[in-house]
Amino acid sequence: MDETIAEFIKRTILKIPMNELTTILKAWDFLSENQLQTVNFRQRKESVVQHLIHLCEEKHASISDAAQLDIIYMQFHQHQKVWDVFQMIKGPGEDVDLFDMKQFKNSFKKILQRALKNVTVSFRETEENAVWIRIAWGTQYTKPNQYKPTYVVYYSQTPYAFTSSSMLRRNTPLLGQALTIASKHHQIVKMDLRSRYLDSLKAIVFKQYNQTFETHNSTTPLQERSLGLDINMDSRIIHENIVEKERVQRITQETFGDYPQPQLEFAQYKLETKFKSGLNGSVLAEREEPLRCLIKFSSPHLLEALKSLAPAALVCRIQKLLCYSGSHSQGTQDPSSWQKDLYLLFVPLYPRC
Amino acid sequence: MDNGSSVLAHLERLETQVSRSHKQSEELQSVQAQEGALGTKIHKLRRLRDELRAAVRHRRASVKACIANVEPNQTVEINEQEALEEKLENVKAILQAYHFTGLSGKLTSRGVCVCISTAFEGNLLDSYFVDLVIQKPLRIHHHSVPVFIPLEEIAAKYLQTNIQHFLFSLCEYLNAYSGRKYQADRLQSDFAALLTGPLQRNPLCNLLSFTYKLDPGGQSLPFCARLLYKDLTATLPTDVTVTCQGVEVLSTSWEEQRASHETLFCTKPLHQVFASFTRKGEKLDMSLVS
Repeated sequence: MDETIAEFIKRTILKIPMNELTTILKAWDFLSENQLQTVNFRQRKESVVQHLIHLCEEKHASISDAAQLDIIYMQFHQHQKVWDVFQMIKGPGEDVDLFDMKQFKNSFKKILQRALKNVTVSFRETEENAVWIRIAWGTQYTKPNQYKPTYVVYYSQTPYAFTSSSMLRRNTPLLGQALTIASKHHQIVKMDLRSRYLDSLKAIVFKQYNQTFETHNSTTPLQERSLGLDINMDSRIIHENIVEKERVQRITQETFGDYPQPQLEFAQYKLETKFKSGLNGSVLAEREEPLRCLIKFSSPHLLEALKSLAPAALVCRIQKLLCYSGSHSQGTQDPSSWQKDLYLLFVPLYPRC
Repeated sequence: MDNGSSVLAHLERLETQVSRSHKQSEELQSVQAQEGALGTKIHKLRRLRDELRAAVRHRRASVKACIANVEPNQTVEINEQEALEEKLENVKAILQAYHFTGLSGKLTSRGVCVCISTAFEGNLLDSYFVDLVIQKPLRIHHHSVPVFIPLEEIAAKYLQTNIQHFLFSLCEYLNAYSGRKYQADRLQSDFAALLTGPLQRNPLCNLLSFTYKLDPGGQSLPFCARLLYKDLTATLPTDVTVTCQGVEVLSTSWEEQRASHETLFCTKPLHQVFASFTRKGEKLDMSLVS
């Protein structure tokens, strides 16, 4: 076994926390049961790693075996990377998508190998019709760098792929091309969504976050929630507030639902707006053309923060909460439709200057 | 002069006496008058009381008479209530059972939540929901349709103009998808023994690829089948290719079998084809024994 492969496997195993080690090794399925039984996992980590490397050498582990281990580690530690979302668009009048996984893998690999002689491409399929792709990039003259790979999670027969943000940006166009051609699409576009949480990105992009539906079979009534009012306050004030609070709560619930929100950290919008001025008039207000702005939202858990914003709102009017963070389909493949909804929610909350 | 003063005093006394007695008699008169008035009032009130008492008695009597007539109907009321409750339960049950028809819905505060319950060969399969908001324009609030079903395309074509067409078209796609998925699942679970490798499938279940042997472990050649379902509203494949693994030219009998398999896959659901394989296999075994 090559020195570099041994080193790479060693470093990968060292990253794995002890309590996950057996699970990951079993998922890897490279070392046999008998071999694993010979290892004493209660030793110090360095000794365990030494023993495992020795076993890998016995079995002549190759770079593709090592790559598989790396993919499994990444599957268990998805949140260590920040994931971008790409959307692919089919050409007009294309045939029915008869996705063939074998064809896709071959095509993808060929495109990358033709462009860069040195590249390691590995695939691992998961149960939810997704394929994890690991690409270690090299150049015409240098071997692939196994320590800075790019990971792609592609959901077949959907237009979406998630990629780990890579330091090696020069390879992104090639990656996009390979994905597009191999999956028989026409064009690829980067969406304005980014998060550490793949599940949340999936939930948003596949619109899976609100899966409670009203049917005649359900017997649970919509829960009533306490409005958290201070009972020591004057009862007349309480009454005045109740109506408004109930209205805000109802709108918030209709917009966000009762389910846990997808965990989003960052959302960004381009906004074109004209500014209204109060008394003296200002330079901004006198412009003819609208101003182009960029609005950025960031938070450890953006949607939960927004959800709690409305009931705690200090603004006096929440005019049009016409946000439906569910899906709405007008027949257009609009990648930013979800974002438009979010925008419409919050523009009325920010008073114009 | 004492006599004069005493006489005057006496006269004064008499005067006061007279005035007092006048007063008294006046008072007496007024009191008497009051007494008289009160007395008449008392009489009036007594009369009123007696009238009211009589009226109450009369009412009570008539109510009693009414109740007496109505008494048997109290039990009828209870029965009516039970009947209504039964009807309510019945209606609720019918509404719940409606989803067996394949397309049902429930009104929501915003519009309607449509439930598409898919089925194949009489087996009830997954249900999918589409929550519609009734506004101009009509829009989908949220749904549980899988992402690889072309919901947006169907909505673009029909949602605004012909909602019936939209729902039926969506039903077609979902039922076909469910049916294809059912066939693939059945093949994997019930006929794994005949497969010589894993079943290759994609999310829409519209491309299936597998290798199989008619008698596993026996002498028969392994066949490779590739089923393409280009019509997403159909549960039978549009293109089928069956080849023999690793063999260039087949003998006539094997060629016949290969061709017949191709036809079978085109015309019958996948698991039924394999069921017929196992039956044939059993028949062959029986012939060997006898």
